[in-house]
Amino acid sequence: MIYFEKRENISAKLKVVIPVVSLIIGILFGALAIVVVGINPYAVYKSLFVNAFGSWYAFSETLVAATPLMLITAGLILVFKMGIWNIGAYGQYIMGAIFSSYFAIFMPPGVSKPLMLTLMFAGGAIGGAIWAVIPAILKVFWEVNEVITTLLLNYIALYVLKFLMYGPWKNPKSFGFPLSKPFPSSAQLPVLFEHTRINLGLAFALISIIVIWFIIKKTNFGYEVRVIGNNPTTAKYAGISVGKNIIIAMAISGALAGIAGMVQVSGIIHFLQVKINANYGYTSIIVAWISYLNPALCLLSSILFGGLESGGYSIQISMRVSYGIVGLIESIALFSIVGAQIFLNYKLRWKK
Amino acid sequence: MNKITVLKATDITKKFPETVANEGINFSLHKGEIHALLGENGAGKTTFMNILYGIYMPTKGEILINDKPVRIKTPLDAINNGIGMIHQHFMLVEPLTVLENIVLGLKEQGIVVDRKAAKKKLKEIAELYSLEVNPDKKIWQLSVGEQQKVEIIKVLFRGANILILDEPTAVLRPQETEPLFDILRKMKKDGKAIIFITHKLDEVMAVSDKISILRKGRLVKTVDKEGVTKRQLAEMMVGRAVLFEFEKKEKKAKETLLSVENLDVYSTQQGVKVVEDVNFTVKKGEILGIAGISGNGQQAIVQTIAGLRRAVKGKIVFEGKNITNKSPRYIAQIGINYIPADRIGMGLASDLSCIDNAIMRNYYKKPISSSWIINYKKSEEHTRRIVDMFNIAVADIFAPIKLLSGGNMQKLLFARELFENPKLLIASYPTRGLDIASTEFVRKQMLKIRDEDMSVILISEDLDEILSISDRIAVVYKGKIMGIADAREIDKNTIGLMMAGTRLEDITL
Ligand SMILES: Nc1ncnc2c1ncn2[C@@H]1O[C@H](COP(=O)(O)OP(=O)(O)OP(=O)(O)O)[C@@H](O)[C@H]1O
Ligand SMILES: [Mg+2]
Repeated sequence: MIYFEKRENISAKLKVVIPVVSLIIGILFGALAIVVVGINPYAVYKSLFVNAFGSWYAFSETLVAATPLMLITAGLILVFKMGIWNIGAYGQYIMGAIFSSYFAIFMPPGVSKPLMLTLMFAGGAIGGAIWAVIPAILKVFWEVNEVITTLLLNYIALYVLKFLMYGPWKNPKSFGFPLSKPFPSSAQLPVLFEHTRINLGLAFALISIIVIWFIIKKTNFGYEVRVIGNNPTTAKYAGISVGKNIIIAMAISGALAGIAGMVQVSGIIHFLQVKINANYGYTSIIVAWISYLNPALCLLSSILFGGLESGGYSIQISMRVSYGIVGLIESIALFSIVGAQIFLNYKLRWKK
Repeated sequence: MNKITVLKATDITKKFPETVANEGINFSLHKGEIHALLGENGAGKTTFMNILYGIYMPTKGEILINDKPVRIKTPLDAINNGIGMIHQHFMLVEPLTVLENIVLGLKEQGIVVDRKAAKKKLKEIAELYSLEVNPDKKIWQLSVGEQQKVEIIKVLFRGANILILDEPTAVLRPQETEPLFDILRKMKKDGKAIIFITHKLDEVMAVSDKISILRKGRLVKTVDKEGVTKRQLAEMMVGRAVLFEFEKKEKKAKETLLSVENLDVYSTQQGVKVVEDVNFTVKKGEILGIAGISGNGQQAIVQTIAGLRRAVKGKIVFEGKNITNKSPRYIAQIGINYIPADRIGMGLASDLSCIDNAIMRNYYKKPISSSWIINYKKSEEHTRRIVDMFNIAVADIFAPIKLLSGGNMQKLLFARELFENPKLLIASYPTRGLDIASTEFVRKQMLKIRDEDMSVILISEDLDEILSISDRIAVVYKGKIMGIADAREIDKNTIGLMMAGTRLEDITL
C-alpha cells in the first residue's frame, strides 16, 4: 500500500527540487499529448526552446511576453496572500487598455510625449483599479463572492471593448475591421533596446515586482495583509480594518493589471483592437501559483511562461501546431506544480 | 494486580532542527493503569505522545507493543496496534453527525461500514463506559464535553487498548471533569491502559496510578501515586518549590474605571439575545472575576467591551468617555487589552512567525514602525524581551508560532497583551494549558498590575483561581448577572448556586 507521511520540516533543497521535477513531469505529459496529435514532440520542444531562448531576438520576445505577466502576477500575489481570489485580471487588463487608449485616441495632436504617456499610465492604472474595486466593495459591504463578480466583470469588460471597437472608437479608415485609429508616436512607449520590442513597460514590471515585495515584507500594510490572509478573526481582533485592506489590495492588483493593458497597447500594438492578449490575465493566475506567491520567484516564472507564450506563438507558424498545445502545456505545468505541493508537505511511502 | 506491560518505549529521542524535544525517554505502560504525564510547558509531552501515535517518527529509540517491537509510522499504524489518541484540539468534522464522524475513515482499515451495525456497536461502547451521546446529532450541536466523548468513542470503536489523552481537562467545565474520570476508571477496570496529560496536580492525585515527570525533554522520574505528595510532584517538575498561595494585599479601590450599563448583545448568527441587561463596574486597581459556566455570555460581554461585537442597547463608559461600539483599534489604544479564550481561533496567526505575532499590538507604533515601514530589528528586540521576561521556550523566533508548545503559545499571547501596560486587562482563561509555574507567574502578574492601580477582568471557570485573586466576583447565567459580591464574603457554594441560575439576593435573604 502507498501512503503519505507528513514531513516535519521542508528543506530548502526540496523547495527547489520538487517544482523543477514537477515541471519536467509536466513537459513529459505535454509530449504525450503532442504525440497523440501526431507530431514529433522532441522537434516541438526544441523549436519551442529555440524560439523562446535561442537568440537575443527570441529572448527579447520572451521578455515582451513576460512583461504583462510580471505586472499582473505581482498584483495577484498581493491579493492571493490575503485570501482574496481575484480572477478578474483579464477584465482589469482590458479596462486599463481602454482607459489609456482614450488619451491616445482623443487628445489633441501636439501633446508632449511625457504628458501623454503619464496620462495613459494613470488612465491604465485607474481603469484597472476601478474594475477591481467594484468586486472588492461588493465583497466588503455585501459579502458577495469575489470569484463570481470578478469573473463576470471579465465578460462585461470584453463587451465594452467590443462595443467601442465596432462602434464609436472604430477607425473609419479601417475597412470595417474593429480597430481604433493608430496611436500617435507620442502615445507609444519608448523602446529600450534597438531592434527589439522591449519597451519601458519592462521597467514598470521590474519596479512593480520590487514594490510588491517591499510592501509585503516591510510595510505596515503588508503585515496587515499577511495577518488577514492567515487568520481574519485575529486580524479584526488586532484592530486591522479587513475591509479597507481588501479594497486597497484589490485596487493595487487591478491597477497593475490595468498598467499591463496600457503597456500592451502603447508599447506593442500601438492601437486598440478586440484582440489585445487579455489572456495574460488568466495565465498570470498560473504564474502566481507556480511562484508560490513569492515576488522573487514571480520574475523567474513570468520569464518561463513568457517563453512559452512567445515560443508557442512561433511554433504555431513554423510547425503548424495548434496554439492550444501551449495552453495544454501551461495547464499541465500548473497541475503538476500545484500537485507537487503535496509532496512538499508529505512524503510518499510504501508498506506491505 | 497484574502487571502486563502493554507498551514500552526505550531511549526515545526526537530532534527538531532547533530543539531536542525528547531525549532518551524510557517509559512503560501496564494493562489497567492510568499513567499521568506531567511536565512544564514545552517539556516534550505532546511530542512524545505524537511519536507513540505515529505523527512523528523518533530520531532514535524503540517502541514495543505487548513485548513485540513495532514501527509506528502513521496514526493508522498506531490504530492497528491498538493505540488511540484524543488530541487537545478535536479532530471532528462539524457538519457531520456523531455516527458519521465515528465511522469516517474506517474504510482505510478495510472495514466495510454498515450503519446499523455501527450504531449497535456504538451503543454497546456507550453503555459499557457510560458515554451517552445521541449518534444522530451534528457535532456543532454538541458541547465541548460531549465532543470529547465522541472522540473517546471513536478511539474505542477502532479497538484501542491504549488511550492517550492530551490535556483533556483543559477544555472541560469543572463539573465535567469528574464524569470524565469515571469513564477513565471504567476503562481501566476493563483492562485498558491510559496515558493522561494534565497540568493540574489535583487531577493527577484523583485518577492516576503512576506518574511520569518530563523535564526539558527527559523523563526524570516515574513514581507510584501512593506515597507522593503534590508538593513533591511540583518540585520534581520545576526543580524548585512552588507556592500555591498568594499574598493579596488589602486594598481599597474607589475610583471607577469602567462601567457597563444595561448592556444587551445579540449572537452574530441567529440573532438571539446572549447578553441581557448587564450592569457592572470595574474600579481602578481591582480584579473583577467573572464566574460562570462557559457559554453563558461572558465572552460576549468582554468582546463587546473590546469592540469586537456590537452592543445593541446600553452603554460602556471608560474613564468617563463613552466607548460603546468603538473600533477594536481605538479600544486597544485607550488602554484596554484583551486575551481571548481560544487563542488559535482569535489572537494568534499560527502560520506567521513568533515575531509577527509578538508585534501584533504595536506594529504600527513607534519604535516598531516609523509611520508605515516596520523595523524588523526593533521587532526582533521586542520579541526577545517578551520571550526572556516570560521564559517562553522558543527555539527560533523566525519560525511559525504553531511550532511552539500549547502552553508557550498562550504565554506569548499573555505577555504581548501585558507588555502594552493596559489600564484594563481582560483575560479569558489566561492560565488554561499553562504549567504550575507559569500559572503562578500569570496570576502574580495580574496581582501586580492590580497593585499598580491597573485593573483586570478575569474570566475563569476555575473557582479556586477566581476566589484567590479577585477582589469582587460577578456570576453570569444565561447572559444575565446573578449578582456581584466581595470575594471575601462569598464561598464556592454560593457561587455554584449562582452559576446554576439563582440570584444572589435570593440566597442571602
Ligand atoms: N514540529 C516541530 N518543529 C519544531 N519544534 C517543535 C515541533 N513540535 C514541537 N516542537 C518543540 O518541541 C518542544 C516540546 O514541545 P511539546 O509540544 O511536546 O511540549 P509540551 O510538553 O506538550 O508542552 P505544553 O504543556 O505547553 O503543551 C517545544 O520547545 C516545541 O517548540
Ligand atoms: Mg502539549
